[in-house]
Parts: sequence; structure tokens; C-alpha cells
Amino acid sequence: MTRPWLHRGHTGRHLARGVIVALPGLALLLALAGPVFAQGHRLVVGSKNFLENKLLAEMFAQLIEARTDLDVERRLGLAGTQVCFEALRTGAIDLYPEYTGTGLVSILRSPPTSDARTALITVRSAFLHRWDLWWLNPLGFENSYAIAVTRSRTGTPPLRTISDLATRSASMTAGFGYEFVERPDGLPGLEAQYGLTFQRVQAMQQSLKYQAAAAGEIDVLDVYTTDGRLAVYDFTVLEDDRHFFPPYEAAGLIRGATLRQHPELGAILGLLTNAFDAKTMRQLNYRLQEGGESIETVARDALSSLQLFRTDDTTPAPAPDREQIMSYLWSSRATLLHRTAEHLALAGLALGLGILVAVPLGLLLERRRSVAEPVILGIGLTQTIPSIALLAFMIPVFGIGALPAVIALWVYSLFPIVRNTYSGLRDAAPQAVESARALGMTEWQILYWVRLPLAAPVIMAGIRTAAVITVGTATLAAFIGAGGLGVPIVAGLQMANATVILSGALPSAALALVIDGSLGRVEAWVRPRGIQRGPA
Amino acid sequence: MSVPVLLVQDVSQQFGSDVHALQDVSLEVCQGETLILIGESGSGKTTLLRLLNGLQHPTSGEVRIHGEAIRSHDPIALRRRIGYVQQDAGLLPHWTVEDNIGLVPFLLGWTPQRRASRVDVLLQLMNLDPQRFRTRYPVELSGGQRQRVAFARALAADPEIILLDEPFGALDAMTRHELQRHFLDLKQRLNQTMVMVTHDIDEALRLGDRIAVLKDGCLLQIGRPSDLIQTPAHDDVARLLHYRSDGHRP
Repeated sequence: MTRPWLHRGHTGRHLARGVIVALPGLALLLALAGPVFAQGHRLVVGSKNFLENKLLAEMFAQLIEARTDLDVERRLGLAGTQVCFEALRTGAIDLYPEYTGTGLVSILRSPPTSDARTALITVRSAFLHRWDLWWLNPLGFENSYAIAVTRSRTGTPPLRTISDLATRSASMTAGFGYEFVERPDGLPGLEAQYGLTFQRVQAMQQSLKYQAAAAGEIDVLDVYTTDGRLAVYDFTVLEDDRHFFPPYEAAGLIRGATLRQHPELGAILGLLTNAFDAKTMRQLNYRLQEGGESIETVARDALSSLQLFRTDDTTPAPAPDREQIMSYLWSSRATLLHRTAEHLALAGLALGLGILVAVPLGLLLERRRSVAEPVILGIGLTQTIPSIALLAFMIPVFGIGALPAVIALWVYSLFPIVRNTYSGLRDAAPQAVESARALGMTEWQILYWVRLPLAAPVIMAGIRTAAVITVGTATLAAFIGAGGLGVPIVAGLQMANATVILSGALPSAALALVIDGSLGRVEAWVRPRGIQRGPA
Repeated sequence: MSVPVLLVQDVSQQFGSDVHALQDVSLEVCQGETLILIGESGSGKTTLLRLLNGLQHPTSGEVRIHGEAIRSHDPIALRRRIGYVQQDAGLLPHWTVEDNIGLVPFLLGWTPQRRASRVDVLLQLMNLDPQRFRTRYPVELSGGQRQRVAFARALAADPEIILLDEPFGALDAMTRHELQRHFLDLKQRLNQTMVMVTHDIDEALRLGDRIAVLKDGCLLQIGRPSDLIQTPAHDDVARLLHYRSDGHRP
């Protein structure tokens, strides 16, 4: 009779044991997350999530690093204009490359103008007065929309302008990007201006258009004037003879506060004024898009050729698409390991905070059942917000980087845990609860000795669901510069490089499976003995 | 009549504005007797049982234990002095037989040694071999065994009263019969005060020292089995007795 009274499976301690085991893991994640959250007084360069913009930002960063003592932090690949601009306005980043036409139409919501100079002056004045943001001198090229025709369809006499195209377009099939089809300064305006009519217009994904055109599926497509693929595909870019497309001159956009703090930045970044024409940009973009070279390498070469710093001996990064996926994973293992650590840190922190809030909240709701359903419904609504939208909402409040990402992931983790904690406690063996009460257990004793151990597997199942959701959603954190395994996925999508996409997607899928599996083990382990799997 | 352990005085229980679960019920339970509360579903018998250990308090009237109003007792301490057995045993599924039986002693802070020896005594009393059953979980027991364990649990801390809510109701006929026989045997050995709810008139006549017949929240009659059989005070009592299985035998 010396068997200890409080044995395994007897108490709420069992759940506590699971939490205790999880804590060192959480601490490890926090340690890994440390670098992610370190915010020094340094200069932050941002960029949008496409290659050319990233390249320009990387050039800004390298030039500043070469000519000043500032620590430059890179936040490349933020999700689009809105995110970048909000980040700049709120001071989460100091500088990013923008296009005058985008500033005019997308940010100021002004009507487009066909004159490059007017566009620059308008945005300069408005941005300075409204937000103290400065447009630096343009970099020398425009990244505008243009219309291209496959060479085999230019016919005789060959098409040269969009006006020429209007005479023959009725027999042609066009493939345009989704955005281009919708925007007033895209297809609708173009059709009105030139009187274009196509036999068929196919809205399609940007990177597929080129392949479709090369295969003869479409004859006409919208392109960006600096697209690297124009250097290799056999297309004729038509002249915009009626000046329909607004000018999209590239230029650095920087915070006034940053310039006042580091006035030398104006002069240094001024070195890039008119440094690139469209042809040069096309070639640089081509090296990124098709050559698979790294942004760092291409930026360094571009700056070197402008004699902006001494050329270092750099070995070009291997082109991933010429490699097998396994050997690529192996050769980039250091980066991927770092990304995985970032990923785990984001997801783990969010989940840890989710557990800390949602389990006590579930306990509280079980005691206050009248408000439970409305509260849980309210939390459930957060699940319906699309993840990208939720991440975008976070930026004005929390800036960019790991903090808003963790908060967004945390919001997603709450619902499954609260719901399972509440219903697990509420539905735990009602007869046993009734007899425990009749025999003189206090409500707290019932909670600790009866409800909690019986609900432990259900609570754990909720945590497991939340874990898989956060690990999956954490791939989107890359859009707001929080790192993680989403970085190679987003980069690979832009490069249309399946190997790079897989180098992020495979580890994150594996991570989700491993976490789901191991939490499944924990779930079985917290299941008290004497309770059968499934309905008892 | 010996000393009344429980005294129910003019108790009414109302749920909402028009549901009268109990109306002006008065009765007493004496030391060592088994009082049966019998009636159809909705007669108020379970409600009355729940008033006796303070799980509910009456809308009006008073329940007294050893002369003191239950309302003035700490309900938790009170319930630890009163055993309780319900229809489907209500054992904690994640606790072993030993832990379940030792529940109230554990709440009362008994030493593990004292609890363990008490558990052995009770298991033997219930005709369950301690070696075999101590470490089993409820799911590893038959329905009858579970009910024996629940009964042992109710007895564990030597309660002043045991309340039983249809304790044999969910068992098959043979097991029920065997347990009832065992119950009678224990009743004589233990001199334990008990209040049992049932809807089975045979069980009531067999196990009860006195029987209280309830209908629609009113107490129709209370008395010894022979009193009820010989002088039923109400048509409904007579009708109830008519359904007993040996009803037409002398």
C-alpha cells in the first residue's frame, strides 16, 4: 500500500506536465527569435515583392553600406505598394524604390498623366507636403506597361505602333494580366483610346503569358518595359504613339526624417541618378529572372560597372533551376536552416502566446457560460479574415517585420484553442461531474481534478490544429518582411522557379507534418488512462 | 421511533413561475432507517433528494440535519458528510477503483495509509477482491461492479446519511436482484441511515423501512410497507401497489 496516491492520469498535473515539457521548447524558440526582433538604430531599406524592385533596393543598400558606416537592414519583398508605402510612412522602413506613376495613380489616386516630368513634380510636391516623404532623382528608366506582339503575327507591313495594331486586332487573341484587364489605366482605357477590339481576351497569370505567347496560344500580351524576358522572347514591343500609358519612372522614395538625420544619403543615392536605361535594366532583370543569379550578385555587378565601388571577387551563386531539388536543398541548407528557425520562431511564439491567452480564456468562459457563445463566435470571425488582408491590417499599427506577423498568427491560433478548451471542459463526463459535486468537491476541485484532465486531449487537439494553422500561415509572413520559409516560396514564385519554390514549400510542409505528428503523440499522452479513444 | 436525522419541514420547490416541483412536503428520516421516495417521473422525488444535501435549496420551508438548517451549513462540508450514489454510478472515468472509493477521504485529508486500508475493507464488504479490483478503471468493470464501487465510495468516510438516486435502475434484472439482496444484508449489518429514490414498487417494498409516495410534488402517504398495503391513504397509492409483482398473493 505504498503506491503514491497521485499517480499518472489522475490529475490536472498531467496537462501541466505537457506544458512544462513545452516550455523549454518555447524558450528555445524565443532565443532563436531574438535576432528577428533585434531593432537597432539602423537604416532599413524595403522593397516590393518583385525582382526589379528588390534589385534596386539591394543596390541602395550596398551603396549605402559601401559609402557610410550605417548598418543597413534589408526588408525586401514586402507585399505590394500599399504595404511598402504604409511601412515607409509609419517609419518601419526608411527607403524603398517606387515608380512615379504608381505614386500618382495608386497612392495619390490622381488621374494619370502622360508626361513624365509632370508626374514627377506632382508626386514630389504632394508626398513632401502630406507625409514628409522625398522623391529622389529618377534612376533613368521607366517600368511602364507596353503592348507586345509575337513576331510571327506582326505580318506585313510589320506592326510598329498600337495604332497599327488596332487595324488588325479583331483577328487576334490577347493574353493580359488580371490587374491590367481591370485597371482603368489598363485595357479599358487602352481600348477606348485606340479603338482596339480583340477576337478574344484571356486574363491570365503574369508569368504564364510568355509561355502562352511562345506556344502560339496568344498573339498579343501586356508586358513591362524592363522585363528581362523581352531580351530573349521573340516579341515586338509596340510604340505607344498616342501616349496612353502613364510614365512609371523609377526613383528612390525616402523619409524626410531619415534625410535630416543622415544628410549624406541624399548625395550618395544621387550617384544613381539616370544610371540605368531600360535596356540595361532588361539585361539585369534577365539575369535574375532566367539566369537564376542572386540579387546580391547582380546588384554588386551593376554598381561595379558604374564604378561606384571596388569590384570584389564574387563567385556567382549557382543557378538553381539547373540543379536537382535535393542537391539545391543541400547546397542552400544553411539558409534554409536559418529560414526554418525563423519560421519556427514566428509560429512557435504565436502559438505559445495563443496558448497562454486562449486556455485561460476557455477556462473563464466555462465559468461564465452565458457569454461564452458570443465571445467564441467573435473570435471565430477572425478566422474568416484572409491572411494577407490581416497581415496588411497589422502594418499601420505594428509596422513590418516579425512583430505584426506574430500578432497576426497569434490571432489565428486563438479560435481552435478557445473553442476546444471551452467545449472540452463543458462536455467532460457530466455524470462524473455531478457525482463529484454531490460528494463535496468544490467547483475548483472539479475543474482541476475532473474537468481539466478529462478535457486535456480535447484541449490538446485544439492546440494541434492551431499549430498546423500557424505553421502553414507563417509562410505568408514573408510578405511583410518577417522572414521564414515563405521567403524562398515568394522569391521562387517571382522567378517562376519551381526548385526555389519547393525549397521553401517542402520544408514547411514537412514541418507541419512533423509538428502535427508530434502533437498527436502529446495528445495521446495527456489522455488519462481509463479513457478510451473516441466516444467512451 | 428513534432520533430524526433529517427533518423536512413544509418544503416547496418552484421552478420559474408555474412549475411546482414540490408542494408543502414534510417528513423525517430516523437514525438507521431506510426511507424510500417513490413516484412516477416528475413526481418530485429526485428534486426532494437534491434538497437533502444542499445541491438545491427549497423555495420555501426548511431542511434540517440533526436539527440544524441545511441552509446555514457550508454546503461543501455538508456534502462530505453525506454519501451519494447515482443511477449510472458516476465514477470518475480517469481514476482507479481505489481512487474513486477514496474520493471523500482524500477531500477530507486522510493519510494515504488510512485511505488504502479503508478501501480494502470496503471492497471486501462489497464482495470485490481488493487485489483484483483496486487498480482497475471504471471502464474495466461490469455495470454491477461499478454500482458496488459507487456504493463503497458513498460509504467511505462513514457518512451520517447516504442518498441513493435509483441506484439499481440501469442494471439487468439478475444483477439488480443480487445487488438488492446484498444491499439488504449490508443494511442490517451497518445500521446506516439511507434515503433512496426509486420508481419500482417491488424494490421499495423490499428494501424500505418506510416508503414515501409522491405525486405531482405532493406527499400522498408515508409509512411502513405493511401500512401502505393494508391502509392505502389515496387511490393513487392503491393503484401503485396494485402493480407490485406479488400484488394478488396474500
